[in-house]
Amino acid sequence: MLSAEEWTIVALSLKVGGVALAAMLPLAFALAWVLARAHFPGKLLLDAIVHLPLVVPPVVTGWALLLAFGPNGPIGGVLERWFGISVLFRWTGAAIAAGIMALPLMVRAMRLSIEAVDRRLESAARTLGAGPGRVFWSLTLPLSLPGVLAGAVLGFARSIGEFGATITFVSNVPGQTQTLPLAIYSALQQPGAEATVWRLSAMSVALSLVALVASEMLTRRVRRGLHVL
Amino acid sequence: MIRSLLLAASLLVAAPTVAQVRPPLVLAAASLQESMNAAAAAWAKAGHPRPVISFAASSALARQVEAGGDADLFVSADQEWMDALAAKRLIVPASRVTFLGNRLVVIAAKDNPVTIPVRPPAALAKVLTAGPLAMADSPVPAGRYAEAALRALGVWQAVAPKVVRGDSVRAALTLVERGAAPLGIVYATDAKASQTVRIAGVFPAASHPAITYPVARLATSRNPEAEAFRRFLISAPGKAIFVRYGFTAR
Repeated sequence: MLSAEEWTIVALSLKVGGVALAAMLPLAFALAWVLARAHFPGKLLLDAIVHLPLVVPPVVTGWALLLAFGPNGPIGGVLERWFGISVLFRWTGAAIAAGIMALPLMVRAMRLSIEAVDRRLESAARTLGAGPGRVFWSLTLPLSLPGVLAGAVLGFARSIGEFGATITFVSNVPGQTQTLPLAIYSALQQPGAEATVWRLSAMSVALSLVALVASEMLTRRVRRGLHVL
Repeated sequence: MIRSLLLAASLLVAAPTVAQVRPPLVLAAASLQESMNAAAAAWAKAGHPRPVISFAASSALARQVEAGGDADLFVSADQEWMDALAAKRLIVPASRVTFLGNRLVVIAAKDNPVTIPVRPPAALAKVLTAGPLAMADSPVPAGRYAEAALRALGVWQAVAPKVVRGDSVRAALTLVERGAAPLGIVYATDAKASQTVRIAGVFPAASHPAITYPVARLATSRNPEAEAFRRFLISAPGKAIFVRYGFTAR
């Protein structure tokens, strides 16, 4: 069905999306928790900053990442000097771009589900002697799990679909940063490559569908489990 | 969860060691896609490691170099972006060679028998305004060149209302391929790459700025294979590959 080269593209997309998700999940949850529960001056600003990648043109995000993570930039300079790591033209850079673009979607879904947790249940648990850690692990987290999973899967789907920020930030390097959308873009530039475009597009639709169905099934299973409680 | 994080971390740490053995990384203008891939394939067939090529807009690639990206060669679709990198000492000046040229042409569907009279202006304008005229957006070099050529031939005022813009020269080509516009202005190489359009007319070379493609080695490149590949690109057999795709050798 797909050529070896096209499978490489699919595998790379999964790797980039998976690593972006794994790296961003704890951060997204922490941000969602802070935005749902904490009150502090500047919360609105933090909320706005987290959501920026959702609304600014992806090419702007890509350019900002290029300035920040390029070896001449503030973050990239530190990585280069201290660790000898360069993310430009590398899949790690593609994962950074994908993760940043997916972050707001993940935070949104997780925040909603944390906000939906009945805080009276938490208070009741506290009066029954549970510490804040116990309340979090046995109440807040399980109750918000559907949203956390939905957010994670949505973030993953967004990651493997990332185009604008990626090509602006880490270019279009086969085997490193050429994920599905970039490969489709390249094939579209070639007259007569329609067959490739079709196959890669079908693959990306299939991956997105699998992700969305998986999220729906997970959410349902979790909900059923909670009803039994 | 923790395992995948550890995996991610270990992959991050492993990245630089993998990087040291990589083949040369060539940043090439998107319009060179088919021809540069053919050149890389020929080079690999001769027993060299196949260069990895990133195709994107010359502007995007140049900005990645400015940000400190450690690629090896840059092949630009115009001199402007090469000049920008040269001014910042990001290329090796002696390695800069303008090795290819291109022509601006009017294309039509294969079954459209139209011919384009370059002169007089009235006759040219009449043919070009028979339907929508596809060309690249004005910030794109191909769009700028097309506008300059139409101005030089004295028909821009008449033609401008009929112009439809694609965001790239390949988008303009697609408009003609799909029949959305009967005529389009693209590079000779784009016309040659398509199975469904033919060249109906060629703009006089003097009617627009010269369309040239420079290659240079980046100042940070330490890969000897990169220099060897650059020499191959500018050699007669190297250029012959590009000529097959409609470029002119320089």
